[in-house]
Formats: sequence, structure tokens, C-alpha cells
Amino acid sequence: MTWIIIAMAAGVMLALALIMTFVLGWANEAFHVAIDPRIEKVNEALPGANCGGCGYVGCGEYAEAVVLGEGKVPLDICPVGGEGVATAIAEILGMTLEKSYPYRPVVHCAAHTNDRLGRHEYRGEQTCATANLVAGVQGCIYGCLTLGDCVESCKFDAIHLIDGKITVDYEKCVGCGACEKVCPRKVISMVPFKDEQMFVLACSNQDFGKDVKSVCKIGCIGCKVCEKLSNGLFAMRGNLPHIDYDNYNPEGVDTLMDAVLDKCPAKSIVKIGKPSSADIEAVAGEDVPDIVKAKFETTVDKTEWHG
Amino acid sequence: MDYIAQLVLIAVGAAVINNFVLIYFVGICPFIGVSRRVDMAFGMGCAVTFVISIAGALSWFFTYYFLRASAPWATAIYHLCGGSGQSDLTILTYIVYIFVIASSVQLVEMYVRKFFPPLYKSFGVFLPLITTNCAILFACLEIMKNVAVPANTDPSQIWGLGESLTLAFFGGIGFTIAIVIMAGIREELDLCDVPKPLRGPGITLLIAGILAMAFMGFSGVNGSLDSMLKSAENNQPETTQPKQQVDDRQVDK
Repeated sequence: MTWIIIAMAAGVMLALALIMTFVLGWANEAFHVAIDPRIEKVNEALPGANCGGCGYVGCGEYAEAVVLGEGKVPLDICPVGGEGVATAIAEILGMTLEKSYPYRPVVHCAAHTNDRLGRHEYRGEQTCATANLVAGVQGCIYGCLTLGDCVESCKFDAIHLIDGKITVDYEKCVGCGACEKVCPRKVISMVPFKDEQMFVLACSNQDFGKDVKSVCKIGCIGCKVCEKLSNGLFAMRGNLPHIDYDNYNPEGVDTLMDAVLDKCPAKSIVKIGKPSSADIEAVAGEDVPDIVKAKFETTVDKTEWHG
Repeated sequence: MDYIAQLVLIAVGAAVINNFVLIYFVGICPFIGVSRRVDMAFGMGCAVTFVISIAGALSWFFTYYFLRASAPWATAIYHLCGGSGQSDLTILTYIVYIFVIASSVQLVEMYVRKFFPPLYKSFGVFLPLITTNCAILFACLEIMKNVAVPANTDPSQIWGLGESLTLAFFGGIGFTIAIVIMAGIREELDLCDVPKPLRGPGITLLIAGILAMAFMGFSGVNGSLDSMLKSAENNQPETTQPKQQVDDRQVDK
């Protein structure tokens, strides 16, 4: 291995490098694609998890949509990045960030197993989607079927069936909306949580009075007392009160609701959310109820059949 | 005609008989990653064919004139600098091939980004992954095998630009055939009841194995194609020299 050979080897590599530098430099100019530099910056600010929680295919898609759709695309819909990322994006785009609240699912059905009347043993496919097509599974045709489609759909283990009632664990929930999409009776809706705990109406029954009482012990009977006493927070839509969350002010809502809760005959208005320290202390000594699973299951019950 | 016959043999060999993906199992990354839809698969096949042709041609050029033992230009420079004997720069082959492949992939990426933006987006990370794709390096090494031969072999056995380019181009064509077939199969698989653990890459690998077994049926084509084309000299190891031509020569003398 003489020095000449080594020098020639180095020379070949150098010559190659020089030629390719010029070729690629020319190509960079000739094939230049003009992109908004802000898209790169936003892309870097995003967490890069490509989870799809924002509704776009990946972080790159969302970055493009946010920069090119000036103002129309919300800045704060990244569930993984949260407020920090929203502020960073607002800074890059030079827009101000309005105060936004996390959207969390609310189950509009508070009935436990004993409250549900007219329930018969259902031996079909144990999913809510199928049970919804069959008559006679449950007295209340608007309420939760408790077969757990939402429990299956949650990737964050944040929703469970406890004692016949679907309960959301607000500590684990990230607000992706999968449970809302999967519920066949539309019992779950996404609500902006302006505070740790929010008042919600935990009933979906659109019937009136006696019809409701015959199918559920705690269903809303549509008496309109809440509308009269709540100073505009509740508005009746048919037989169900509807809470206007845009005007929901967490400051004075407790005192406002005291009167309503006192008078509501059905106990369908509840306050739910992350447990406060007082709540945790109150149940410190109690046993936690087990998560109830359907008792009747075969080996093919969880199979997903395609076509 | 012998030359054309040899080119046809190399072409059919690279594309079908010794298919890069299904017989040698190189280039599996885009084969599994981009074969979900036929249009994407065809696009990836074209990109790989383009890169492999450029890389093959450039690597032939560098190997023939610089890198092999007793390469003309390198030996000339060597003698100019006062060295004696032959120059042998074959140690540089791998580095030079990777360099050439990386640059051609970069060129293709810029081209695709400018003129086919939706294709560029749908490829995602698989386009720069062609750089490390074994299929392209494999083509370059096959070319090297037939160009950087030991110094005492018959010069007519060394491949020229024609043969190298044919091998590279039709190797890419073979890759395209394989990936488009796989994409067609996978599009049908979307409607089938695939067990959950096997969905995605699992079932693709199983099907690739069965496809490889199917393509092994072509291995007998080699000999019969060769005798059909009646080429006296070729580089396929299983062929025998047809005796007729040798006899003719002897009779003539």
C-alpha cells in the first residue's frame, strides 16, 4: 500500500465530493419548492407524536393546516401538547390565544343497576351497537345500555363500568373523543371543562313525567323547575334541560345551583369532574366497588368480523 | 446479436428469474412499507428503478475507470505519479457506491418533491429510505462482481455500460413487478378476515414468502432461454457452451 495509492484513494473521494456538491447545489436551486417557513417552526413546536387526536393525519398535516388556514383552524386542539404547544403556535403565527378549555366527555346517564327498570337479560352480541338494534333490552330507550362499547374504545383506560353506571376517570382522560364517536345512543357528549368539576345533566330521556318514572328511578321527568330557578343557565329543549356551557361561569355556579338541586325531584343534575381533595378524604375509608363485566360471554364475543 | 442476446438474458434474469425482492430478499423495507395501495406501490417502483439505474450507471463508470485492478484512468494517474505496477482501488467500492446512491436519492427526492407533491407526501419517510435500500447496493455489487474481476481474466468478460445498465434497470423493473403484485394482493386483503396478530406486516411477510415460492418456478427458464438465444458466451453459471459453434470453428479451420 504505497502512499500514492492512498493519495489516489483520497483524491477519488474528494473529486466525487466536489462533483456531487455542484450537482446537488444546482438541483437544489432548479427544484426549489417554496414553503412557508412558519410551517417548519410550527412543526418543530408540535410534540411529533402523530396521534391524530387533533383530527389531522399527523403533526405535519396539522402544522400546514394551522399556518395556511389563517385563523380558521383552532390553535389549541393538540391533546398531547396542551396549552404549552398552543401558546408556542400562537407566538409563531403572531396570533393571540383565546382562553380555551379542555373538552372532556360527559355521560348523560346516571342510573345504577338498581335504578334501571324494565331490563331483561340480553344474550345477543354484547356490544351496545348491536343491543341498540334490538327492542326490549332496557326500559329506557334513550339511556346508556351499559354493554361497554365506550369502555372498549378508550385507549387511555379512562372510562369504566362501575355498578351499572359508566364513569369517566377524569384524571386519565385526554379528551380524544373516541367514546363519544362510538356510543350508538349518543349518551356521551364532549363538554368544555371550565373548572375541575362541572354541573351536567345526567339524563337523556326525552319523555315526560310518568313515562320516565316507569323506566328509571332517577330519570329527568321534564318538570321545568330548573329552568325557572336557574336564571338562564338551563334552557328546556323539549322535555330535557340543556346547559349553555358558553355562559357557564364557574365562579357563582355553586350558589346558583343550590336552589336548583334542592328542588329537582329526580336528582339528574350532578356535579362531575376530577375529585377534589375534600372528596378524596370523604371516601378514604370505604371500599372501592369492582368494575362490573358482562357475565354472559362466549369465545367469539370479542371477535371483529370483517365482511 | 450475441450482445443483444446477452442483454436479454441479463434483463430477464434480473427482472424475473433472479428477482431482487423475491429471490434475493433485498429491498424488503419499501416492499412491505409502501405496498398498501397499487398507485403508491407503482410510484415507489418507478422511483427505485430510476435511482437504481442512475446509481448502477455511475457505479459502473467509477468501477471501470477508477476502482478496479488495472483500471485505465487510475493506472494512468498512478504511473504519472511514479508508481509501478497496477493500481487497485477496490477497497473504495463500498464507500463510492453508497456515496453515489445517496446523491442520486437526494436528486430524486428533490425532483419528486417539485413535480409530484402528493406522491412525495404519501411516500413520507420511505423515499429517503431508498438510500439504505439493499436492492440498490445489491445491483451495484452485482455490477462490481462482473467489472472488478481479477486482472488476468478475459477482457471480453468484463461488463460494459450496456450490460450494467440493463441489470440495474431491469432489477428495478423486477422490484416494481413484485411490489405492484403485493399491493394488489394487499388491497384485496383489506376485506378479508385476517387474525388480529397477523394484520399488517405479519400477513404481508407470509404472502411474500408464498410469492417467492411462486417465483422460484422461473428458475428453470434460465437454461431454456439461454439455449433458445444460442449465446456462446454469457455469465450465467448453470449454462453450458453449445457444442455446435465450437465444432463449426474447427471445421472451418
